[in-house]
Amino acid sequence: MISVENLSVTYGDLRALDDVSIDIGDGEFVTVVGPSGCGKTTLLRTIGGLESPTAGRVRVDGDPPEAAQSNARLGFVFQDHTLLPWKTALENVTFLRRMAGKDPDPEGARDLLATTGLDGFEDTRPAELSGGMKQRVAIARAIHLGADVLLMDEPFGELDEITRDEMSVEILRLWRENRKTVVFVTHSVPEAVFLGDRCLVVSGAGTADGSGTGNGTPGRIVGEFDIDLPRPRDESVFGSEAFGRQVARVRGSLHDDA
Amino acid sequence: MSVAERVPAPSVVLPVSGLLVAVAAWWALTVALAIPPYLLPSPAAVAARLAGNPDLYLANAVTTLRKILIGGAAGIASGFTIALVVWAVPVLERALYPYLVALRVLPKIAVAPVFLIYFGVGFETAIVFVALIVFFPVVVGTAAGLDRTPASHLDLLRSVDADPVRTFFAVRLPHALPDVFAGVKQSVTLAVVGAVVAEWILSNDGLGSLVLVASENVQVDVMLAALVVLLGMGLLLYGGVSLCYRAVAWQ
Repeated sequence: MISVENLSVTYGDLRALDDVSIDIGDGEFVTVVGPSGCGKTTLLRTIGGLESPTAGRVRVDGDPPEAAQSNARLGFVFQDHTLLPWKTALENVTFLRRMAGKDPDPEGARDLLATTGLDGFEDTRPAELSGGMKQRVAIARAIHLGADVLLMDEPFGELDEITRDEMSVEILRLWRENRKTVVFVTHSVPEAVFLGDRCLVVSGAGTADGSGTGNGTPGRIVGEFDIDLPRPRDESVFGSEAFGRQVARVRGSLHDDA
Repeated sequence: MSVAERVPAPSVVLPVSGLLVAVAAWWALTVALAIPPYLLPSPAAVAARLAGNPDLYLANAVTTLRKILIGGAAGIASGFTIALVVWAVPVLERALYPYLVALRVLPKIAVAPVFLIYFGVGFETAIVFVALIVFFPVVVGTAAGLDRTPASHLDLLRSVDADPVRTFFAVRLPHALPDVFAGVKQSVTLAVVGAVVAEWILSNDGLGSLVLVASENVQVDVMLAALVVLLGMGLLLYGGVSLCYRAVAWQ
């Protein structure tokens, strides 16, 4: 579904990503984990066509990301919920689909809000929703768009830990029900292990967000782990021994490199 | 229902009480100190002036209001349009915007005598003057507002390849409205000032002119009556803009 070939992204003197290659299958849930400023967000944004490759290429179902944008095949969920404050939850869900020029489907949007636990909040504005609820609306918006690929950039980064765990279970359920390909960026190793079929570890410094000086190593994939925890996964996984082992393995790869 | 819920909110009661106390104090002062009416007429005398010749004040108020509304609308519309064009064309923004901001410092009132030479006395000159005074806050407010859209919202729309014009109306403009209206609110206040100054220098009619003539004849009660009408008009306009804002805004 997604292929990234020898991708490098440079901003001026800063090499954010260096020679990254990934293949992601249809319906796969891939998590990308790494420290702040390692280039993982740049990777996600380049897959989604919001940044341009300096070298190498990205294909989404065989097409360049720009073509996938035009067909509304990419559904972004950002750390910042990006809901429009003057629109209700329901209007926010339908808004992006409308802007993409697709046929409206208000009933579908209502059903989706209900299945994301927002039944009764259709006419509520974002200011009156909690952080977790806002991200639920943002996720519903991406699914309602009808995208094949969900690109999630630390979507739970601003939520408290309890809400994060709930949202993780929730996103797995939505993924099961909607059969999307997901690329999920996070700096939380447990989150990456809990969610992913596969977990990519990115390491690097001196990248675009100013956290480095430009002479550090650019973002590279330093580890790749198949997460063989059985599905469906729920909260009980967090306490399991197998989960703890996987987390330790992924953590180990992060610290080897640094 | 408790007593507290029946009584109007303190936000209404207290300011109204303040006004009543002030007017009462003014009245008491004129009586107690036996101030001669030609220095400071009592509130009753001012009210009597207004009631005694309502047509005079009404006609002049309409004249002034026309200048405020026509000049104000022209200034707001052209300020918004120019800000939009300058914002949309980066070359213009870099070339012109610093000067548009710098021109705010120019006391526009000082330009009135210049207008007198080029355009002469008359209604049209007054309109142009009011428009000029109203123009700048709207330019600055609009230009600031159009840059207010968070980058992530623009990313979101880019991710579905949304049409730039639709993006503008769906996201940019609503994000800009609070700043645009902040400019318009300033403009409305300035439009009243502009109309009065225009009536002193450029047109010789309306409430501004009435105040000036009354001053020359030392008719303090007429002056105060005209000022009361001006104040009422200004407040109504400001309130009107605030209501418009509440109807379209999201904050």
